[in-house]
Amino acid sequence: MTNLNHDVIGGALILKPSRRIDSSSAKAFEDDANALVETGPKKVVIDASDLDYISSAGLRVVLTTAKKAKAGGGGLTIACARANVKEVLTVSGFDSIFGLHDSVEAAVASLG
Amino acid sequence: MTAQHDGDAPDFRARVLELEEELERVKAEFEDLNLLYQATIEHGEAVEDQLAESNIELQRTQNRLTEELTEAANYIFSILPEPRQVSPRTEWLLVPSTELGGDSFGYHEIDDDHIAFYLLDVCGHGVGAALLSVTAINVLRSAALPKTDFRDPAAVLAALNEAFPMERQHNMYFTIWYGVYQRSTGHLRYGSGGHPPSILCKADEVVTLSTPGLAIGMMPEMVYRTASCTISPGDRLHLVSDGTFEVETAPGEMLEFKAFVDRLSASGSGNEVLDWVRSLNGPGPLPDDFSLLTISF
Repeated sequence: MTNLNHDVIGGALILKPSRRIDSSSAKAFEDDANALVETGPKKVVIDASDLDYISSAGLRVVLTTAKKAKAGGGGLTIACARANVKEVLTVSGFDSIFGLHDSVEAAVASLG
Repeated sequence: MTAQHDGDAPDFRARVLELEEELERVKAEFEDLNLLYQATIEHGEAVEDQLAESNIELQRTQNRLTEELTEAANYIFSILPEPRQVSPRTEWLLVPSTELGGDSFGYHEIDDDHIAFYLLDVCGHGVGAALLSVTAINVLRSAALPKTDFRDPAAVLAALNEAFPMERQHNMYFTIWYGVYQRSTGHLRYGSGGHPPSILCKADEVVTLSTPGLAIGMMPEMVYRTASCTISPGDRLHLVSDGTFEVETAPGEMLEFKAFVDRLSASGSGNEVLDWVRSLNGPGPLPDDFSLLTISF
């Protein structure tokens, strides 16, 4: 079982982490996300609307999830990031690699 | 009266016999328990001896590990450059969060006209992160990347990215800021990979310098960019790791980068900034390595 909020919309796996992904919560996110991608759709959207903060440890597990999705023939993108999370995603270059979208629908559509 | 007592005598003797038997049983039980007690004491002493020996062994191992970690930390500090006393002058601070951190930095003259400044931050802490950090710094210092113009930040970042893919580095990667100052023109060319912006404090403004790009080793075949600006005498440039500002100001409230930039640009020394960040963080070690390299032109 997983504690990570998730859903399947339009054939894409929507992961909705809450509050923070930092060094203390990153491992749990990684394990849950890996398990969900393993058994579910390989197109993954991270719905960041409930996310207050992501640390470098958090970026790392987003990356490993993206690699897992890509290896399965899918991909990963990010939706609804709030200002401070967006700033971290921009500094890290994640915005240009994974894309940032204003809605989950737009994010799902971008994965084709 | 006597007759009556005589009549009771057999019962009395039986009772005495019974009590004597009972006493024997209790005595035997006492003996058994006493033996058991002695055996337990002896066993306990043996266990204590064993524990004491294990403790001594643990202490030895602990001492050896501490010595080795200290040795490793000394090595890392030994490869960090001396502050430059001539223009552009430098001063720096590196405070690892644990014994060994993943931050390191350096600067060196590429030729008579160009000088490179760089600061990198390997994900995570500890021995693994420190090893990669030292390796990457040594590669930069010794210009050990094939066919790479070290005056071109984008080229250096791309070459590092090819040299250190995370799959071949125990899944570790690092963020970096790399800049090259040209004395003859006063130009600073810079590029970054997943790293916080450097902060340039000019006489009349404060600007943050960064270019988009992923951390080194995350994905193959990335293209990095070079940007440039002009440096004037008196300008100060701060290279930082994210550990300098990623602290909680209140539970769940992170310090904003903008607030950090304001404080940094107004402060006279790195130690002043460190004290301020520590006061925000509260007691205990900072959550991440704190490194700050300041260059005064």
